[in-house]
Amino acid sequence: MAMAVTSAFSMAALNAALPSGVSSQSRSAGVSLHAATGVSVRRTASVVVRSMLTSTKAAGFQVFNGLRNENALQLRNGASFDVMGLGISNGSKWFAMRHGRKIHRLGRPADQRRALLRGLTTEILRHGRIKTTRARATAMRKYVDHMITLAKGGSPHQRRQALGFLYDKQLVHSLFAEVPERYGERNGGYTRIIRTMPRKGDNAPMAFIELV
Amino acid sequence: MPRSIDPLIVGKVIGDVIDTFVPRVDMAIHYSTRQVTNGCQLKPSATAQAPEIQLSDKSGDNNYYTLVMTDPDAPSPSEPSLREWLHWIVTDIPGNSGGSETNTGFPWLSEQATSTSSSGRELVPYIGPRPPIGIHRYIFVLFKQPSQSFLISPPAARNNFSTRNFAAYYGLGLPVAATYCNSQKEPASRNR
Repeated sequence: MAMAVTSAFSMAALNAALPSGVSSQSRSAGVSLHAATGVSVRRTASVVVRSMLTSTKAAGFQVFNGLRNENALQLRNGASFDVMGLGISNGSKWFAMRHGRKIHRLGRPADQRRALLRGLTTEILRHGRIKTTRARATAMRKYVDHMITLAKGGSPHQRRQALGFLYDKQLVHSLFAEVPERYGERNGGYTRIIRTMPRKGDNAPMAFIELV
Repeated sequence: MPRSIDPLIVGKVIGDVIDTFVPRVDMAIHYSTRQVTNGCQLKPSATAQAPEIQLSDKSGDNNYYTLVMTDPDAPSPSEPSLREWLHWIVTDIPGNSGGSETNTGFPWLSEQATSTSSSGRELVPYIGPRPPIGIHRYIFVLFKQPSQSFLISPPAARNNFSTRNFAAYYGLGLPVAATYCNSQKEPASRNR
């Protein structure tokens, strides 16, 4: 009984307070409130009082929802995922495969990797033929070819570049003296890799790499 | 003593051409004004003529020496198929040839400027360095002759010469002095 009286009172006040355009919607809202408990009805009554005071100024006021966070509870959804999970689609940073990645990492950080490759190219240019793991041999090819290309060029700048890469100064000078004769006709592909038996200690696949 | 043969070990002269020895004689080799020091770089044009040899034999005996000059890097250091290539053999060099200023300490006293060409017998004529490919080492090895009447026949060919075998065959033993220099082909145009 008390509920019916208060709801009837609030309906009339609501219709007066709200702007005309929204009144139909508010009427439906009021109907849904009518089905709610007594606590919610009393809350709307207090809202109505406040809105009565402000409605005279804000004529034609539209409800603005732009800044309201529709994910107010901050549930995780697929768009915010960037870690492994079911939500990844193309366009995220992490791929499960290695497609197109060309750097031989050799299991080392960048500075150690560079030092390792410098040492290995120095040794193959000194001895002509060395035996290492297959991964290192395939990684070395590019740098050995680069050194031989510099030596074929032979200019002082290229000599300086080779001196900055190889660890043996005398080796660079003898390289620059010999390479033009030895590889004058050959265009690229100055090394050859031959696979051999795995290493006993750790069964690492081994290979010979030699200057062609 | 190891200190004076370190450059020979670093330059792999000891190992490729000769065995470890103890230097007993001071040997100085000059191409006109340039002295040959271990590992120095000489141009083939500067070495076209035979060099002068100066020995100072500290022992004081009347010894005679044999000098052998070879190139272990013929035709190319990375593929020395003609190792070694013989350039020069001089025998019967007196122990104190060429004069030495260190003996007396008075440069104006040591006027005996005798060149090797008069004080030694050239067994194999001198051919100057002409490296076709790469940087070659040219090694001068001095042996002491066992006795003055010492008969050596010149080798049949210059290529594939072996200093070790030569010394062993004629009973020359270990070298008493050695030095070497580097040389490479002068490119047609210097600045590229």
